[in-house]
Amino acid sequence: MKNMIKQVFHSPKFVIGFVIFMFMLLTIIFYPLFVTADPLDMIGGLFNKPGTYLSVKDVVQADEYDLKINTVSANLNFISNEDRQNMADWLTRFGNVKKSEINISDVAALVKLWNKNYNSNADQTGLLAAEKQQYIRLNDKINKLTSSADVYIATKNNEGELESNSPLDSQAFVNTKDILNKKTFILGTDNFGRDVLTELVAAMGTSLKIGLVAGTTATLIGLILGLLSGYVGGTLDDFIMFITNIFTVIPSFILLVLISFSVGESARGVMLTASIIGITSWPWTTRSVRSQVISLRNRDHVNLSKLSGHSLPRIILTDILPYVASYVVMAFILQISSGILSEAQLSMLGLGPATTKVSTLGLMMNWAMAYKAPLSGAWWAFLPVILAITLISFSLNLMNTGLDQVFNPQLRD
Amino acid sequence: MGKIMLEVNNLNTKYVTRQKEDVYAVNNVSLQIEEGKSVGIAGESGCGKSTLALSLMGYYFAPLHYISGDIIIDGRNISSMKPDDVRKHILGNEIAYIPQAAMNALNPTQKIISLIQDVIRAHNPKATKKDIYDIAKERFELLGLPSEVLQKHAVELSGGMKQRTVIAISTILSPKVLIADEPSSALDVTSQKMVIKMLRNLMEEGLIKSMIFITHELPLLYNVTNDIMVMYAGQIVERGTAKEMIFDPMHPYSKGLMGSIIVPEASIKNSKLTVIPGTPPNLKHPPKGCRYAERCKYVRPECRMQKVSEREFSKGRMYRCVYSIEELKEAYADE
Amino acid sequence: MKGYKKYYFNKIIWYVLTLIVAVMLNFLLPRLMPGNPVSAIAERASNGMTDQTAVQKVYEEYVKTFGIDKPLYVQFFQFVINLFKGDLGVSFTYYPRTVSDILAKSVWWTVCLQLPAILVGWFLGNLLGAVAAYIKGVWDKAILPAFLFLSNMPAFGMAILLLFFFGVYLKWFPTSLGYGYDLNPNMSLQFVGSVIYHYQLPFWSIVLITIGGQAIGMRSMSIYELNADYVKYSRFLGIKDRKVVKYVFRNAMLPQITGLALSLGTMVGGALVAEIIFSYPGLGTTLLAAITGRDYPLISGCTLIITIMVLIANLAVEILYGFIDPRVKAAQQE
Repeated sequence: MKNMIKQVFHSPKFVIGFVIFMFMLLTIIFYPLFVTADPLDMIGGLFNKPGTYLSVKDVVQADEYDLKINTVSANLNFISNEDRQNMADWLTRFGNVKKSEINISDVAALVKLWNKNYNSNADQTGLLAAEKQQYIRLNDKINKLTSSADVYIATKNNEGELESNSPLDSQAFVNTKDILNKKTFILGTDNFGRDVLTELVAAMGTSLKIGLVAGTTATLIGLILGLLSGYVGGTLDDFIMFITNIFTVIPSFILLVLISFSVGESARGVMLTASIIGITSWPWTTRSVRSQVISLRNRDHVNLSKLSGHSLPRIILTDILPYVASYVVMAFILQISSGILSEAQLSMLGLGPATTKVSTLGLMMNWAMAYKAPLSGAWWAFLPVILAITLISFSLNLMNTGLDQVFNPQLRD
Repeated sequence: MGKIMLEVNNLNTKYVTRQKEDVYAVNNVSLQIEEGKSVGIAGESGCGKSTLALSLMGYYFAPLHYISGDIIIDGRNISSMKPDDVRKHILGNEIAYIPQAAMNALNPTQKIISLIQDVIRAHNPKATKKDIYDIAKERFELLGLPSEVLQKHAVELSGGMKQRTVIAISTILSPKVLIADEPSSALDVTSQKMVIKMLRNLMEEGLIKSMIFITHELPLLYNVTNDIMVMYAGQIVERGTAKEMIFDPMHPYSKGLMGSIIVPEASIKNSKLTVIPGTPPNLKHPPKGCRYAERCKYVRPECRMQKVSEREFSKGRMYRCVYSIEELKEAYADE
Repeated sequence: MKGYKKYYFNKIIWYVLTLIVAVMLNFLLPRLMPGNPVSAIAERASNGMTDQTAVQKVYEEYVKTFGIDKPLYVQFFQFVINLFKGDLGVSFTYYPRTVSDILAKSVWWTVCLQLPAILVGWFLGNLLGAVAAYIKGVWDKAILPAFLFLSNMPAFGMAILLLFFFGVYLKWFPTSLGYGYDLNPNMSLQFVGSVIYHYQLPFWSIVLITIGGQAIGMRSMSIYELNADYVKYSRFLGIKDRKVVKYVFRNAMLPQITGLALSLGTMVGGALVAEIIFSYPGLGTTLLAAITGRDYPLISGCTLIITIMVLIANLAVEILYGFIDPRVKAAQQE
């Protein structure tokens, strides 16, 4: 046994999968200890970008520090390559500017050309209305960045009128450490304004829990049926295999949909969803266990036990189970993985657990899509979730392949 | 003396294991086979018989590697040929091989006639389907195989039929040398007889010019081959005609092998049944001296010290031992 | 040939039996659980479905078609009879369109998308596996593992990725629907072109994640076959590697075909959700709309049609396999 464990941890595939999985598991366990905020708290707005959000009032009232940086030219450099390319395109197509006159790397000159030649009312044949709007927005953006107009902060004086001392110094900066009211959203916010990172960790935990419950249920059912079917044989075997084959061909997905829908939204909690997934995915484990048991039941040690008059449960427990254990463990791992995936699919259809009390990976995806995150460009609302699902599935599958190679040496390459 | 079909001079080959160690499996093997003759190679499991068979083919698939020596088939030295040429011109049509457990050698999902097409076309790309079919049918009938087999898939044939089919396919291009590796070992007695008969038929019809018959079943060799060679730990330890080898072996190992035969003959009933204790040496680090020394009853200190060369004491009769022939006869007489 | 007939006959009987079980489940499950159709309709009414008379009509229609005031077994017979007539009831959400009418349109889109996608994914995956096993090198060390990673992504995950990257960011492909919204279905080149254009992203979502799973299986099978005795024997007969390799892969493919049959159910499930991402006018989107609208007949119809499709596909694969593998023929003749 010890030797087997040593072998398992020498298998590179298993180790990589194990490391990835452990990393995620430890994150799920330890993150909430450091970040105690409620993952379902709706702090922010719709799809706020990742970044640190500072209280504007605090910023205005904080200590100012003079830094000798020319913010105007710095702003120019913040104009993205994409924007510069867009400007260049418009200028060549509609601005009567020759291509040779444009140098994308010289932003200042480009902006000058733009300010001189851009006109939202110019003849822009071939452009859709939406595209024209984009150029108008681009123009506004450029103007905002390059404007050298003064900005004033006004306060009410004794007479109730707004007055201001002087415009903001363009070289005045504040130290972010002085700002007390700030919130960092490493992965931005979702459609509800929830912190995506915190929610993601919680969701991973919930999805994993669902996977575990579903996997345990499916493996238990599969194990019992497989053992009975394989060892007892005869008509019981025929009957169980008949049922199993039917449920292999009828897509479990369909059963999931039907049952989840029938159960109704109010009753669908995390545990129930997990159980439903579990009771629709046993066929595969049953087959695997059964074939192993069949090859075992005529082995010498089993016959010896039979001759010694040991009872059926005892034979199954002590003679067969240990050899089936390796298959069961592998099946269990795969069931966890597919359970998480099934939950995600169910949630995408709106048949997952109820949303308000808990978050799962599938639910996060569902909401992101419902609020059209991809179309808004809010990549933080769905990319990390997809990555999380893929990584969990990938690490579990790697572990399974690693285990397979240890238990079935002929698969080693 | 007829034309020499196969001449092997001091052939050395090795295996390279996964752990990158060299196993010196074939050591200094020399032999000659004349046209129309067959040679049996006997020895216990693991002595290198099959490795020798593969080495003789002249084409080395990893992990088997050629070290040195000559293999000359009908005057053609194939050891100096480029491997690709060997594969193209020699394998299959000059020298052919029947593998052990030939039943597994057939692709379960391919029709027999299709395999024959592949074989013939590999050496004669222009052969037409009809010609191939005619050749196959004729050859099968000559060898006593029903021509229906041609249209069947390997999975539809019985074990004995598969074995005989493999023999027919291997020899369809009438090779000069046929190497049969345990051709009858995995079969029932009746099938065994049919296989032996087929091989004899092939020799008699001249469809193969010479044969090497490898087996661990010694009694077979007496009825099948002209000469017998005994192999031990990668070396040929004795060679002679079948009669000489069965009834008057010289080398201690050959003697032990022949003594361990259980043959239902009245005269043998009273002679002792001997078993050779011990196991063959590790060929990763072959011993300096005689490879049989550890198990030899007559071992002397010089056996382990010096290299043991072949002693030829009459035409075609050779053994590999430190003892001279008189010393050996004396040692046996003392028993 | 007689053995053959028996084999196929048995298979078809088995599938018919499975179909019956599927139909029974399709009938029973929604009705056994809390939240039966009647209360669903009532719930709609209380949730303020716009037209009270419409609610009444829907209810009446439903009662008429499915006879819910009668005992369960009578309802079942009615259900089956309706099935044979092709009557799957009237949709709640799309009243007065019938379920069969809605499904007839969606089924086509789904089949035309998923069937080629799954087949292409299966084929490319097997090709990759074979190449990785035989040529090794970068195929085995880098490309295969990359696709393996991708195959762990749920189908809708890949769909969203492709949607975001190619549809929104690069703007190379449209992000939804089956064809341009300003076009009407017809046989014109413009329409067909639009369909093909809209087809790309959903198609490749399914293909890309199927490749990995198939490749790894084919690779293992190929390695196993490449080391088989008959390969060594063929080489000793002087047969060129190129020819031998053809047989190796043919043999390695056979279990892959069975594997395809086994995983069809799962693949279809995943692909349906992928359709939803693109609002592709197939069964996936229809199912989603049905679930959202608690549209009993439509859900029932969708699941039934999907099950039938999977069953037919499975049967087709098994029949095909019987023809291809001579070992099946041999086993029958024993």
